[in-house]
Amino acid sequence: MLTAKGKASLVPRQMLVFFVILFSFPFWSQSVGLYDYIGIEIAIWIIYGLGYNLLLGYTGLPSFGHGAFLGIGAYGYGLAHLNLGSGVWTGLIIAIAAASAAAALAACLLSHRRGIYFALLTIAIGQIFWFVSIKWHSLTGGEDGLLNILRPELNLGVTSISLKSNVALYYLVAILLAVVVLLLWRFLHSPFGSVIQTIRMNETRARFLGYRVWLIKWTVFTLSGAFAGLAGGLFCMTQESAYPDIMSLHASGLIVMMVLVGGGFVSFWGPVIGVVVFFMARDLLGSITETWLLWYGLLFMAVMVFEPEGVAGMWDRLTRRFFGQFPPAPDTKRSTQEELST
Amino acid sequence: MELLHGLLPHIVNGFALGVLFALIALGFTLIVGVMEVINLAHGSLFALGAYIALVVISPDPDILGAFADSYFSLPLVVRYALALLVAPLLVAAVGFGLEICLRRTYGKKKEYGLLLTFGAALVIEETIRLFWGPAEQSLQIPAQISGAFIAGDMIYSNYRVFAALFGICAIAVVWLFLDRTPYGSIIKAGAHDSEMVQALGINLPRLRLLVFGFGAGLAALAGIILTPIWGLRPHVGVDAVIPAFLIIVLGGIGSFWGAVAGGILVGLAVGITGAYATDWSILSMYLLLILVLTFRARGLFGKKTVLEQ
Amino acid sequence: MLKNLTRLLLAASTAAGLASTAVSQDKPIVIGITSDASGQYANSGASDRRGMLMEIEEFNAKGGVLGRKIETIHIDTETTPATGSRVAERLVSRDKVGFLVGAVSSGVANAISQVAQKHGVIYLNTNSSSPTESGKNCHRVKFVWDGNGTNFSQAAVKSSVDSFGKEWLLLTNDYVWGHNTSAATRKLAEANGAKIVDEILVPQGTRDFSAILLKAQQIDPNVIAAAIGGDDQKAMRTQVADLGLGEKYAWLNNQQDWPDIYGLPKENLFGVFGTTWYYNLDLPGVSDFVKRYQAMYPDTSMKVPGNVFYNGYWATRSLLEAIEKAGTTNNHAVIKELEQLKIPADVRMQHHDAYMNAKTHQMQQTIYLAKANLKGEEDDMFTIVTNTSPEDAVDAGAEQTCKLESFEETPVYEP
Repeated sequence: MLTAKGKASLVPRQMLVFFVILFSFPFWSQSVGLYDYIGIEIAIWIIYGLGYNLLLGYTGLPSFGHGAFLGIGAYGYGLAHLNLGSGVWTGLIIAIAAASAAAALAACLLSHRRGIYFALLTIAIGQIFWFVSIKWHSLTGGEDGLLNILRPELNLGVTSISLKSNVALYYLVAILLAVVVLLLWRFLHSPFGSVIQTIRMNETRARFLGYRVWLIKWTVFTLSGAFAGLAGGLFCMTQESAYPDIMSLHASGLIVMMVLVGGGFVSFWGPVIGVVVFFMARDLLGSITETWLLWYGLLFMAVMVFEPEGVAGMWDRLTRRFFGQFPPAPDTKRSTQEELST
Repeated sequence: MELLHGLLPHIVNGFALGVLFALIALGFTLIVGVMEVINLAHGSLFALGAYIALVVISPDPDILGAFADSYFSLPLVVRYALALLVAPLLVAAVGFGLEICLRRTYGKKKEYGLLLTFGAALVIEETIRLFWGPAEQSLQIPAQISGAFIAGDMIYSNYRVFAALFGICAIAVVWLFLDRTPYGSIIKAGAHDSEMVQALGINLPRLRLLVFGFGAGLAALAGIILTPIWGLRPHVGVDAVIPAFLIIVLGGIGSFWGAVAGGILVGLAVGITGAYATDWSILSMYLLLILVLTFRARGLFGKKTVLEQ
Repeated sequence: MLKNLTRLLLAASTAAGLASTAVSQDKPIVIGITSDASGQYANSGASDRRGMLMEIEEFNAKGGVLGRKIETIHIDTETTPATGSRVAERLVSRDKVGFLVGAVSSGVANAISQVAQKHGVIYLNTNSSSPTESGKNCHRVKFVWDGNGTNFSQAAVKSSVDSFGKEWLLLTNDYVWGHNTSAATRKLAEANGAKIVDEILVPQGTRDFSAILLKAQQIDPNVIAAAIGGDDQKAMRTQVADLGLGEKYAWLNNQQDWPDIYGLPKENLFGVFGTTWYYNLDLPGVSDFVKRYQAMYPDTSMKVPGNVFYNGYWATRSLLEAIEKAGTTNNHAVIKELEQLKIPADVRMQHHDAYMNAKTHQMQQTIYLAKANLKGEEDDMFTIVTNTSPEDAVDAGAEQTCKLESFEETPVYEP
């Protein structure tokens, strides 16, 4: 079921609710036992997840090595800061450019493929980038990390805001996240958005319809790399350092799980829900038990077996059952159970 | 000549290593080849097999109670052989459970199976950590197959020879199963057209269950053989599943001998770079994969399969 | 009237003073424990934590520190730097801890250090043995309690050239710690007349050492100095023992953490390796210390403690003693106290006095070299070969590369 182009509103209901929660977070975070830093991390991972879902949920390409681009974005920003003295915007642009370039290069190898071959090649590429970041420690700092990336000053022309405090940084990240959400929403409801979903449903048919599938896949991969680069740059800014760990296979696997549990296959908001669920599970469960990852893994398996549409899919069905037969909003629900079978 | 003299031990070592890699990939390729499911939990089953073998060889005396003394008086060889028998069977049972979970994903896109087994891999590894702890453990091997021998001026490991021979036998047995018994072709057919196969009166679900269990058992066997060399800790499964996945794609999905050839090629790559360009030895298998796939899109001996959709 | 006013003011201020001390006596000191409970260093992290907790319990039994009870919060740092940052931020901003203690991985330690320095929270790096911790990556709030790769090389190399021979092969794990350690070994060995015949770079994640060990045999050196760590070391150990190569060459391994080798067959412990402490040292206080460990932790699989536990214990003890001595929890005062730390050998349960290097914030201590004890009982895995004084094992390069932040740059924090 393709989204009807032009029919999605610019800022739908869910987006408004999301923005309200996003921008009010620092005011109520303490009262629910959270803290600003975790808000920043969640927002950054949502950017990463939304960009990643372009590839997985919308185009149907499972990448298990995406941590590489997050890491390249982080190192890009860090190295720009240390060697060029870059500020916020230059640093982030360099981060995005570096990650996009790497993604573009990888996409040249990957765009012919789909499914299992695609997945394995992304693992190989992720491992290669991870390996290089450890070996080239004169550039990256190796396992010690690239350090002392001090929080910059945000220069707005008339005034300058220090990003040292977590609250200030949170708002910068939140604004960028809002921009990303708006951009992606428009993008995915444009003709291009429909085309990539056609590729997910049946690549051969898309090719027969005359679409240049290779080029489209290449573009989507590079774009998702760009978003990962932005997230990585922001992460380096937040953590004031960059480490090879986020490029590891384990870390790359986490974003896959997060996005799927949230319902990335069927909903634009899947990654948002998935990231929040993961971080909450880790922070809350993790303080109670050391085996929280076991429970999360079981949750993931349960989702894959019983509810591949994830939390977003479950929510959609529940609301329809309780609130009557609203037609699924063209924006939220992309695929149906029938479509999930080949 | 001098170069060859220096190179020869590494070629032989690489070949032996390759047989071990092929052994690791064996269970994986069986499941992919006949059920067309990518089982990323293969590595965790590999690890689980080794841990269960640990329990069989040196169990906690409290559990055995009265039997403890008589059990430990059994020679290590006997307990080791027992482990080689019991552990794969128990892991096969776990494989049954995993196959049952996978059933819902059969009609759907292949990524679902891949992702589900990815989750299972995590769950099994965490469970191992929960029960056995994160510490490094040691799997004892009988004196008959341990120790070293000297050839040329170099010391070689007896155990590696045993492991390579074991691997060759295992490969032969699996090939016989696939090629010379009716089961292999029945299940292959079932992957393409399950309705027809069931219409022919064959209990396809039961056969799938058994094959998956067989694959899991082979993973466990590989784990028992490899962990005395590579060490035993919960994370060791990942060291097994990535090469296994890589090898079957390199060799060609759907081709049994492709997997064997792939394993040997990877072993030679790792073994020879290990001697002459050691810092690239781990990466060599990934570079090899990219190289091969660039020129032969389906791997060395790949055939078109259901997995390509 | 003035007299009455004075008396009133005096009474009021006394009451206020009493009230504030009463409040501060009730308010506990919270220590944030940042040790790994999962990932590669989970086992060491657990041992580290046990050391800290035993010391805290001993202090609390004496009435706490400055009359305040000590409480702890532990969050798993997952051997992952990103988690380290988040845990540190959470402990400081949400849980308002007074001090942060615990590290095994250098990446995690660095992530935590940056957060700690930003807020002025004193951070004890208990067990990371990377030379950069007290070199390039040192901080005013951070103190390092473990010997690093260079210390161990210093202790081992000189005597090995004399004893074992001049042809050396270096096995270097291809990451920062491996390179730093091998560089130190190389410098020392060459200064003492040895020749580095070859250096083999072993990538991180190597499980199969067969090719490397064959190559080593082809090179046929006198000494093999291995700067191999983590899981790679565990795999290498099994394979070297299997081939009996531990007998054929003189192996110099770097520091062996007790949790990594406890329970393994003694035959796997080849060559010479380093440690900062051993449970069977014939020194005053050691056997009592071991008994206290066994009384507090009867159920752990490690029946006797090792260097990781010891470092966790001593770091925590020195911190608490420094707070007592400074009379305040003001971070600048405690840091100054720690910078002058000196502990006599008999208290420290080592052969030589230990002291803090004020310029690098690394504890200078006795470095032991050991080899496997094939004869003793099951737990008695080491035979101590030599002990080296801290002066002889010093990491000379650290003072040049370490640039501590000034006190002005370090925020004041008084928990």
